[in-house]
Amino acid sequence: MESFTALELFESMKNGEVFLVVDVRNESDFNESHVEGPSDFEIVNIPYFDFIEDEANCLAKVPTDIELKIICAKESSSVFVATILESHGYQNLSYLENGFQTWGDLLVPTRLHSNGYNLWQFIRPAKGSCSYVLGHGNEMFIFDPSRNVEFYNEFAAANGMKISHVFETHLQADYISGGPQFEDVIYAVNDEDFSWAAYEYYSLADEEIFTLSGGYQVQVIHSPGHTPGSTTFIIDNKWMISGDTVFILSIGRPDLGGQVVEWAKQLYHTLKTKITVLPDNLMTLPGHFSCWKREFNDGVIGKTFGEIIELNSNIYSIDNENTFVEFIKDNMQPQPDVYSEIRKVNVGVINPDSCKQKEMDIGKNQCAASAAQQ
Amino acid sequence: MTLYDETIDCKGMQCPMPVLKTKMKIDTMAAGKVLKLITSDPGSCKDIPAWAERVGHKLLSNEETDEGYLFYIERGE
Repeated sequence: MESFTALELFESMKNGEVFLVVDVRNESDFNESHVEGPSDFEIVNIPYFDFIEDEANCLAKVPTDIELKIICAKESSSVFVATILESHGYQNLSYLENGFQTWGDLLVPTRLHSNGYNLWQFIRPAKGSCSYVLGHGNEMFIFDPSRNVEFYNEFAAANGMKISHVFETHLQADYISGGPQFEDVIYAVNDEDFSWAAYEYYSLADEEIFTLSGGYQVQVIHSPGHTPGSTTFIIDNKWMISGDTVFILSIGRPDLGGQVVEWAKQLYHTLKTKITVLPDNLMTLPGHFSCWKREFNDGVIGKTFGEIIELNSNIYSIDNENTFVEFIKDNMQPQPDVYSEIRKVNVGVINPDSCKQKEMDIGKNQCAASAAQQ
Repeated sequence: MTLYDETIDCKGMQCPMPVLKTKMKIDTMAAGKVLKLITSDPGSCKDIPAWAERVGHKLLSNEETDEGYLFYIERGE
């Protein structure tokens, strides 16, 4: 029986291949998070235990004339379902090696620049997030790493580089950062977000400049709003690592800390005095994206700052603080409960076991709320 | 303490085995009888309740203990 890796699945999407994903996890895990990517492939959720109870009804939901890619939480239930399908004559099918978690952890590196220094974007499809890796000679800087630290370390080794600095654009609430786990690096973050951290860190100063070997500069811009410690990094006067301040199709929401008016005002001033004054030709590299179709072009998530201002003219044209605060309030949405816990993990004040961290990082877990059910 | 009629230990098993074994066991029981189930696979936390609801068995309780994940399931009609 054939299998595929998470990266191979992403490549199949990127190449626009035609297939049907049969996700055999339970319905709530499926609804919380399932595979999405740069193409419109078909997907159906049929829990493996339905195959146990009512095989005929399940088989009726699976067409025979399309390639099937079967996904479960770990792997064994995919193989179980694939075996049933094969026994009924289905032929063109394969399953995801090691299950959905490998999709959750998947990082896809793409080189953005190779003249003098190297700059890579690491897209994490499952979270719609991006981290960045900058290297020259044998030195490497990392921005906003996710928790798959081994992948960054192996990537550095494969390129003959050593990670010297790890930067955060802000204290992440939606995923567990790999930052604190790197050994023998300078972990450079802003005090405003990290003062309650349980570990030592290097405190970034506004307008500070870091110089990579070869003389390439990384400029620090304190850009509070999404969080009080939000930071934007300008690389070689060409690239803007914008974190969760500037997105391609929006700006970072300033309401996650429960002080919406105060943070929205901060964000307004940041945009007016520190961000919109930057050159239009800066290639903007955000911390997140929300729409594969509109944001993923030629394998990259990024647009010039000028294009972004045009795409978001409804936001950037607001020239009154109160109007801006009202705009933010009108667009507020609830935040997942797990965010406050993820922040605590990221500053090291709680340290759940690896299994629990995986669950927090991929979505909410409902196992703890386990009182008697009616 | 929930009263039960039958018990099954699925510790050390990975999905789909806990659901498969539980189904085979509960199919031998009469409606209204209670099965005590222990698993160690975190995946069963959601899969067992979701399966039971689908099939029409009643999940009486569901908790994480030192022994593992403990479920009491009442066989449906």
